[in-house]
Amino acid sequence: MDDRLRAFLDAKLNMDVSRRRFIQGAAGLTSLSVLGLSAQARAADGKLGGELNFLGWDGEHGGNVAKSFLETNNIKMNVSFQSAADEALTRFNTGGRGAMDILTPNKDFQTAILKSGVELFQPLDLDRIPTASGLFPAFKDAPWLMKDGKTYGIPIIWGDEPCVYNPKKWDAMPAKYTDFADPKYKGELVLLDDPFGNIWLWAKTLDMPEPSRLTAEQLEQVLEAMLKVKPNVVTIGSSHGDMADVLVRGDASIGIGGWAYQVVIAKEKGVDLVVGSPSVDGTFFWSDAYAIAADAPNVDNAYAFIDFMTKPESNAALATELASGCTVEAAFDLMGADIRGMFPYDNVRAPGGGILGTQIVVPPQEPDGDVVGASSWVEAWQTFKAS
Amino acid sequence: MTNEPSTQSGQARLTLAAMIPASVFYAAFFAVPMVCLLVLSFWTTKSFVLIPGFSLANYVKVFTSPLYQALMLRTVGVALATTAIIVPTAFALAYCMRFVFERRGQLILQVVLLSLFSGYLVRIYAWRTILGKQGLLNSTLEWTGLINEPLEFLIYSNFAVVVTLSGLLLPLAVLPLYSAMLNVPRDHLEAARDLGAGRLHILRTVLVPMTLPGLRTAFAFSFLLAAGDFVTPSLVGGTQSMLIGNIVADQFRGIGSNWPLGAAMAFVVVAIMLAVYLSTTRLIRWVTRW
Repeated sequence: MDDRLRAFLDAKLNMDVSRRRFIQGAAGLTSLSVLGLSAQARAADGKLGGELNFLGWDGEHGGNVAKSFLETNNIKMNVSFQSAADEALTRFNTGGRGAMDILTPNKDFQTAILKSGVELFQPLDLDRIPTASGLFPAFKDAPWLMKDGKTYGIPIIWGDEPCVYNPKKWDAMPAKYTDFADPKYKGELVLLDDPFGNIWLWAKTLDMPEPSRLTAEQLEQVLEAMLKVKPNVVTIGSSHGDMADVLVRGDASIGIGGWAYQVVIAKEKGVDLVVGSPSVDGTFFWSDAYAIAADAPNVDNAYAFIDFMTKPESNAALATELASGCTVEAAFDLMGADIRGMFPYDNVRAPGGGILGTQIVVPPQEPDGDVVGASSWVEAWQTFKAS
Repeated sequence: MTNEPSTQSGQARLTLAAMIPASVFYAAFFAVPMVCLLVLSFWTTKSFVLIPGFSLANYVKVFTSPLYQALMLRTVGVALATTAIIVPTAFALAYCMRFVFERRGQLILQVVLLSLFSGYLVRIYAWRTILGKQGLLNSTLEWTGLINEPLEFLIYSNFAVVVTLSGLLLPLAVLPLYSAMLNVPRDHLEAARDLGAGRLHILRTVLVPMTLPGLRTAFAFSFLLAAGDFVTPSLVGGTQSMLIGNIVADQFRGIGSNWPLGAAMAFVVVAIMLAVYLSTTRLIRWVTRW
């Protein structure tokens, strides 16, 4: 792996886990494969230039990848990074409306916003993003980005959260997450501090019909099942980096809800870890997308930026920088084998969102009949942590 | 004589004027945000939208939830345990710096403060290295043959939280105590000894009363900072050591966040911690007046 990429990833291991993935700042990588790419772009009326306001996850502004595009088109990008998924909405509702252009919501947050009917994103005119036709089939009509036949985002990266374990202690992971309650795992597990991912996984392992739509009774059953595993849990990692540290130190030997890159950093510290999730339950997937804020002041620049970033070369470079899966089909061949091998691409070659489309990890924001809302999930997770 | 009142009032005006910058700073960056947070604690939230109003529901939830009650108690316990380690240790250290190694007092102070030059997270990870299953302490004990298996309670436990917080906050407690100790004349201790006072009597009737302002500040630093910390429990506390600060932080981030509830929790925590702080400082003063 490229030294700069490695340094990059190492420096950003301790990201807020609410992001459900790791990405890193864009400073440092300047020679990725986009340098030869044409940075010319045209607005609908033929004019670009001025400002472009970005509010999203660190690194997804493509500080290096988009540099030539921004310079060529005289666009000054004003970058703000969010530390939590809902920060964009907070800013939007507290004076930011009309001053925000590009947002990068994750799948869960965008699902929640579109379902709740809260105004934050504007529908996209796909004719102005011709490069979006090159997306993997799963991302072309991703259901979490659509509402009433309109598209509200263009996926930029994706990934999964598998189990990461020490092969010297374990040959394989059990078939189901509930199997981790076996006393043989005592003192061996580290979880990620992620209420939605964990509760969803345990709801799935309990064969709940809709793991993201639980009644109070079902949520209680999930909590009971999780509490049976808790005696075996050493600690709850505050980030993927923290989880990796626990695994590398030997304080635990199995990370649940991990990241394939943890294997790479552990190897550099002389510790062998491998990826492998429960064979029956599997794991869940995430994806981030570019979206345009409602009342965005620089719509032309925003469309041109998204179109540029969705080119195969740009997407490959960004996914490489962020150690994530690429979303553009032709970008796959432009990436290094080490990054490509981190994610199961079979899952995104199927149309209709693939497994990402059927896995809705986030619960409804508010109670819906008997189905409890997100705050109940958070409280259940806090009960788990405090018990 | 006739000019005295006007001189005094002039000085008072000067004092008031000198206080204006600090007052404006505190009003802008402390009082106003606190008032905003207080107002927010009476609001509600629905589908990502804050709804202004006056509802006591958040406070009712904080006071009636067994989860929050248990965490409040745990937080007070951990903070008191941490303070019980820090303040006597810092007091003893400050005493030694002032009266035993008087010439080297400043040097010792610099050494104590040296740890503050490293980052907060770095210091927590250093404690993880010391206390871990395969950490410095367990390895040493195994090497010396005192134990056969790692002592698991050393890391990811309340013990680890208290030890780590003590290590992190000790320098902050030494500073005010050493400063207060410098104001205690050696003659006073010698006079007390000459009059037949024992060590404990001198401690209770001379040292503690004369260093009370420093003790109060050291207690405040130790107790309030330990009670409000949520990073240390996250990193070394394991699965049984979450404190109320972790829950408050959860309310301000992510999809299931609830800012008004978080604000209400924060105010309840502040009230409880202030009550404990005031009670304890009164207790110390009462003890010194026996």
